[in-house]
Amino acid sequence: MEGILTEKEIALAQRCIRFAREAGAAAVRITLNKSLTNLVGMLSGEVDKVSRSLDRNLTVHLFVDGRFGSFSINRLDDEDVVRDFILDAAETVRMMAEEPCRRLPDAARKVQDAVSGTEAGLFDPAYASLDPSIRLEMARKSSLWDRREKLEKGFTLLSEEGEYSDSIDDTLILDSEGLCCRHTETSFEIGYEITVADAEGNRFSGYWWDATSRLDAILPSLENCSETALEQAVAQIGPQSHPGGKINIAVRSECTSKLLNPILNALGGYSLQQSNSFLLDSIGKKLFSERLTVRDFPRHKGEMGAKWFDSEGVATADSVIIEKGVVKRYFINTFISGKTGLSPTVEDPNHPVVESTGDCATEADVLRLLGDGILVTGFNGGNSNSATGDFSYGIEGFAFRDGRITHPVREMLMTGNFLTLWQHLAFAADDARPCRTRSIPTLGFTDVEVR
Amino acid sequence: MILEKNRYFEIFRVTEESLRRLVAEGIRRGGDYSDLFFENTTLTNLMLRDGEVSAGGNLVDYGVGVRVLSGGKTGYAYSESTASADMLAAARAAAAIAGSGGAEGPFNVNETLKKARVLYDSFSPQAANGDRLVRKFFPGEPNPAADRYPSEIGWRDTRAADFIPFLRKLDAEIRRRDTRVSKVTAMLVWKVSDILMYNSSGELKFETRPLATVSVTVVFSHKGKIDTKGVSRSFRFGAEMLSDALFNDLVDNALKGLDARFEARRPAGGEMSVVMGAGASGILLHEAMGHAFEADFNRKGQSVFSERMGQRICPPGIRILDDATLKGSRGALNFDDEGVPGQKTYMVEDGILTSYLHDRISARHYGVTPTGNGRRESFRYAPIPRMRTTYMESGNADPEAIIASVRSGIFVDEFSNGQVKIGEGDFTFFVKSGFLIEDGRLTMPVKDINIIGNGPRALADIVAVGNDLRIDDSAWTCGKEQSVPVSCGIPTVLVSRLTVGGE
Repeated sequence: MEGILTEKEIALAQRCIRFAREAGAAAVRITLNKSLTNLVGMLSGEVDKVSRSLDRNLTVHLFVDGRFGSFSINRLDDEDVVRDFILDAAETVRMMAEEPCRRLPDAARKVQDAVSGTEAGLFDPAYASLDPSIRLEMARKSSLWDRREKLEKGFTLLSEEGEYSDSIDDTLILDSEGLCCRHTETSFEIGYEITVADAEGNRFSGYWWDATSRLDAILPSLENCSETALEQAVAQIGPQSHPGGKINIAVRSECTSKLLNPILNALGGYSLQQSNSFLLDSIGKKLFSERLTVRDFPRHKGEMGAKWFDSEGVATADSVIIEKGVVKRYFINTFISGKTGLSPTVEDPNHPVVESTGDCATEADVLRLLGDGILVTGFNGGNSNSATGDFSYGIEGFAFRDGRITHPVREMLMTGNFLTLWQHLAFAADDARPCRTRSIPTLGFTDVEVR
Repeated sequence: MILEKNRYFEIFRVTEESLRRLVAEGIRRGGDYSDLFFENTTLTNLMLRDGEVSAGGNLVDYGVGVRVLSGGKTGYAYSESTASADMLAAARAAAAIAGSGGAEGPFNVNETLKKARVLYDSFSPQAANGDRLVRKFFPGEPNPAADRYPSEIGWRDTRAADFIPFLRKLDAEIRRRDTRVSKVTAMLVWKVSDILMYNSSGELKFETRPLATVSVTVVFSHKGKIDTKGVSRSFRFGAEMLSDALFNDLVDNALKGLDARFEARRPAGGEMSVVMGAGASGILLHEAMGHAFEADFNRKGQSVFSERMGQRICPPGIRILDDATLKGSRGALNFDDEGVPGQKTYMVEDGILTSYLHDRISARHYGVTPTGNGRRESFRYAPIPRMRTTYMESGNADPEAIIASVRSGIFVDEFSNGQVKIGEGDFTFFVKSGFLIEDGRLTMPVKDINIIGNGPRALADIVAVGNDLRIDDSAWTCGKEQSVPVSCGIPTVLVSRLTVGGE
């Protein structure tokens, strides 16, 4: 085994099933998680912070007398404390109302092939080669502060704040019907925020971030993350006002999840069961542009978000969520399936991918095809109504004309309804960033209300 | 609640001597300050869905965080066990910030602490505070008589079953009062945290913090339209907070404004006057201005207010403060998470920027006394400057007269999902509910639009402040790097121009 859970911790999790049985539980699921994170923070070229975090957590899902409760404890050194905790938990469950829809998933749906924890290809053994001095060196290397005088052209660099971090996360799920599955992944991340001032003293900030499950893959980003953040900040100097109205917008891949997440949330079982979704009764209906296809690829080994099972231990499988604008699936766990009569699926999408429309590959292609409009590079606040799909977001980015960026814009708003917005999807590029679990490329929309 | 000191020592299995050894371990390699934050949290939740309380649970979270400061640098580590060896390992990991100097093996605890105290405490903040007398130490044990979390019925003395009738009654009353209600979800969460803090200056603080929240989400359907509304109330009181008054407040607010909500439309957008209603609009103050007053953003040169201390940032007469002293408030604190007493901190007095919100690190950087704003989500996090209950004091204007003075604009009574860019000061807020103002009267209901502006400019554009300050007791949670409970408030305020998004 490659993870960080010890034999002793795993044995305790196994004994918790017995403790739950002794407390009168008809069924029980145990989720044991352990994670270790090391972080080095940089502030204007100097090491500002180092931290080391080791977390353990054991969650007990108890099914007692037709009732249900979920309980969590991190005091795992004393087995008696854990056993008493489970006994008390069972008593608490007995106070709840009966809920016949609460049960473990059917055995046939449970994962069988997640044994070692490394099946999803997100574990890098090179993690073990890191020590505090290497981490400090990697963080120091990522700063551009010492080179700032060469870079300052028409602006002043006010501050540079960044973080390098790496982590290993190990999860084991067991249940009283024999389920045993494990997922282990490593993560290496770098992020920088840069603040600059123009000649008049106006401030602009830029942010860049990268993450990967492999140590060697983060190394190039250590070299260029802060410079990319600087480019983002400097590009915003000299914003101009821009006329509003119904216009074309392109949304940079960096921030497109803001527009897809509400769709995926509205397809979630809890929202549907509570009628708090603008996608009620939508299966089989063509509600979006024919150019929108979204698939879930949880079993694409090595890609961010890959996972062989969900939080109930149900096996994941590649699937179609939306195909040519037609809604193909909801996300329904065992409980919601019982409440609604809908067929159960995995609880959530793991690695959803928006397919390219095939006629554009990059952001530049999308701008060229749209001609004129605004390229959105970041959202600033705003919200959406989960029941109606109405939204209003603050946006910032750049105006473009004839496919070329002309000037930065900020303090603008984009308003509409998700159903209408996605009906106006015109282009999807092929430039989704691999560091995102939700793989969404640069998108181009027509007729969007902007102020 | 403040229990006997020894009770906390028992919970965490420590003694005063073992605490001294640990902080000494943190600084023996060159660190100049070290502190310990012990936490024992129990959290219980009950959820009502489809008319029944059929889900609930508990959480136990226990551990200690060790911080070592070396100049302005921070080393941080924590342990989920308070066994001596585990705490020692965490102290050594945190001490790595100060380098690897210093010998291994036995050392003199008293001498180590004495040297560190000389270094850390030799700093004198008086000069930077206009010769005002300011504390360098916060000596003395916590005083139960001054407790800001009054609890008549301790949450730990109750059983989950005691509260199931309250949630059921909420569901039944909301459904009885309005036939358009199709779904009700109600949740009660209570959390009790035993906290023990100790630092290399020898300051020992301890307390038990309750925090309980009732939240209700209602889905309505009417003539084929569906909409939702949520309401929450959160306090640092005991279980006596589940009173009839709270019950009625929740039911009234879950159903309030429903007719307007179904009629509400998006107005034509553009730049216009905005009247912020008293109470929940205070979140705009928290997001758009409060964060920019947090000293870490200023120390790092990131805040739009970094160079503006002592300058006028809004019209005379306006006072904006952050307050830990409101008994039972979600933002109330006897002590912050660095052991500094909770207090009132005025950031803006008579329109002049007078103070940032400080933790110990930023206070030392600026040469001022810490303001009790060093807060953290749990023992897993190092403290950073955070708000508590942030509000603007009342002015002189009659709220109705403020609305009557606006020819064309909008009145907002509920905001959500605010966001601000600290460097630029740009903010955006989602309007959950409000009304158009036409010729001084509230007319068409509006919802689901955004207001966008710039913090310093919006402050400068305030033209009237009402005499009706209200603190909002909703379950506000601030998410700057870590989640901490906060509260906010504001009187009715008129801003002469902000951009409103619409059709």
